Amino acid sequence: MNMHKIVSGFFFIMAMTLNFGFFYGNHTVLAEHSSYELFAAIVVNLIATVLKLGDKTQLGSVLLATSLVAVIQLIASATVWTFAAYASHDFSVEAVAAIVSLSGGALLANIVSVILFMGDTLKSKR
Amino acid sequence: MNDQIIWIVLKRLRVPFLVIILTFTVSIIGLVLIPGVDDAGNVYHLGFFDAFYFVSYTATTIGFGETPYVFNYEQRIWVSAIIYITVIGWFYAIGSIVSLIQDEGLKKAINRNAFRRQVVSLKEPFLIILGYNSVTKSIIERINGQNYRIVVLDKDEKKIDELMMQNFYPHVPAFVGEATSQQMLTIAGIHQKNCKSIISLFENDTTNSKIATICKFINKKIDIVIKASSKQHLDHFKSLDIKHVQDPFDVISKRMFYSITAPHIWLLEMWMYGHVLKLRKRDMLPRGRYIICGYGRMGHSIENGLKEAGIEYTLYDIKSSAYESRKKTTIFGDEEDTQKLMDLGIEDASCIIAATKDDLLNLTILNKAKKLNPKIVTVARENSLDDLNIFKAAKINRIYILEQILADITYNHLSYPLSEIFIEESRKKDEEWAKVIVDMLNEVTGMNPTYYEKTLTSENAYALGLRLLKGEQITLAQLRRSRENNDELLNLVYLLLKRDKKVYLMPESDMCLELGDELLIVADDETYDDFEYIVNNIYELEYVLEK
Repeated sequence: MNMHKIVSGFFFIMAMTLNFGFFYGNHTVLAEHSSYELFAAIVVNLIATVLKLGDKTQLGSVLLATSLVAVIQLIASATVWTFAAYASHDFSVEAVAAIVSLSGGALLANIVSVILFMGDTLKSKR
Repeated sequence: MNDQIIWIVLKRLRVPFLVIILTFTVSIIGLVLIPGVDDAGNVYHLGFFDAFYFVSYTATTIGFGETPYVFNYEQRIWVSAIIYITVIGWFYAIGSIVSLIQDEGLKKAINRNAFRRQVVSLKEPFLIILGYNSVTKSIIERINGQNYRIVVLDKDEKKIDELMMQNFYPHVPAFVGEATSQQMLTIAGIHQKNCKSIISLFENDTTNSKIATICKFINKKIDIVIKASSKQHLDHFKSLDIKHVQDPFDVISKRMFYSITAPHIWLLEMWMYGHVLKLRKRDMLPRGRYIICGYGRMGHSIENGLKEAGIEYTLYDIKSSAYESRKKTTIFGDEEDTQKLMDLGIEDASCIIAATKDDLLNLTILNKAKKLNPKIVTVARENSLDDLNIFKAAKINRIYILEQILADITYNHLSYPLSEIFIEESRKKDEEWAKVIVDMLNEVTGMNPTYYEKTLTSENAYALGLRLLKGEQITLAQLRRSRENNDELLNLVYLLLKRDKKVYLMPESDMCLELGDELLIVADDETYDDFEYIVNNIYELEYVLEK
């Protein structure tokens, strides 16, 4: 048992699952994507990113990079949402598709991150 | 190295970042969930953007007020709670960042990086000087920016601050670090190709030998200039194959010897170190009985010099520390001391040497001696450069300042390597030869000439290089012709020519030059400028060679 591994593993995987939960559904219908879920995904991704800070191994750097990609994509998605809701007052198909597909990109980054994390865990002898 | 700082910063910022994320999240979720009432009395929920906006300006204590509508009491209860959570979290994070900026360890790491960058960016050849003190300071002042750049390491932070206050130009990168640490030496650039040599002139011989051993292991090719004042360490350095061992006591011993037996050889050596090229009466040491006061390392070396010269001497083993603890003063000259000097035969001695470690004691000994025997020649050891004026005012015939000697020989070694060879070669000759040379130099070049060193390469003797590459035969005499009138000769003297390992003292004027020859030239400024023109400018050279 390694407390640090539990905590970081929890947040890395949670970041991916929440991201998937938001992404899953018809990508032109906004009602199938919950704003609460997007918020949760952003927060958990932020936490995951901070947990990856300061690890100067090769793997740590790549993990940090994937997390940064995911966070930036999710925040971009939320920004598009905010813009559509308050500035243009128009949830066009284009806007909805952008919100969902941006989170889809973040999901890919999260999957890469989790694969790397698992690979490292399997490799370690303890 | 550079990455290290980023990692330190990031690692330290983990917790503050987490605190901010968590407090913001809790506050935003609360605001989104609690229903509010708008102007028209309808129930509404804050959007995530509204909530994020509100929390952001609340946490940072900017406080724009309640948006988008005035809050109801449920919302205000929650907000009063989150104000405390988020503001505290925010200040904690800001505080951590500020304290991180002021962190000593981080500052050191940043300074070290800056130092490393400065050293790496040095394109010119440079020297590493270990330890900053009055000796190395005088070396830096003379060498910095001339032929070499300089890098300094000292373990004392105050010394480094002092160096920074000097504001040397060009800049001298300096850093606090143990000179015996391999890591510090590496950071100071010992591996770099343009690092020409390491100078270690510590008072302590053991430190010097430690440094020499480490440097030799790290970089075999590097030139180490090191101080040694005992036979044992000298042998150790020789076994390490270090050629440039500076021993100020040995220099004093040799100077003593030559100054008595062959004053003109002594004069030539002193001239290389800035003395006028003229033997003044007060420079002469008499042949008579000597008294040496103080029998430490300095006393020993003087004794050696005198012994070799066959001079009779009397020793007076006076130790400054013992004298001070016994008499509670370092002012020499009470009745007992006077009697002691009389016993040593001060009245018929011709020279007295005060070589203790205490300047005041040395001064007072000589003072007393002069009173007892007004004709006596006085020689003093001076330990710190600060009291120089007092010594000059005391009209002492000769002053040996260890620090100055050390700085001078190191400087000449670095900037005028041929002068060292010349001194060595001249010592093999006799007094008569030296006298002829001195007279000749004064006659040809005028009173008090200076000397220059020139290596003949295609870069710094362009015109000459072109002709030599073509295989032309050019002699030293041809290069001596004046560029104004090639029937006349320039007032310069070729003192020494070095070709590979062979040294020609006073080379023949029909000697043919080769590329790579190193010349030691005696001339005044103007004449030397002419010489530079001739070897560099094809038209000048053409004219000079015409005849």
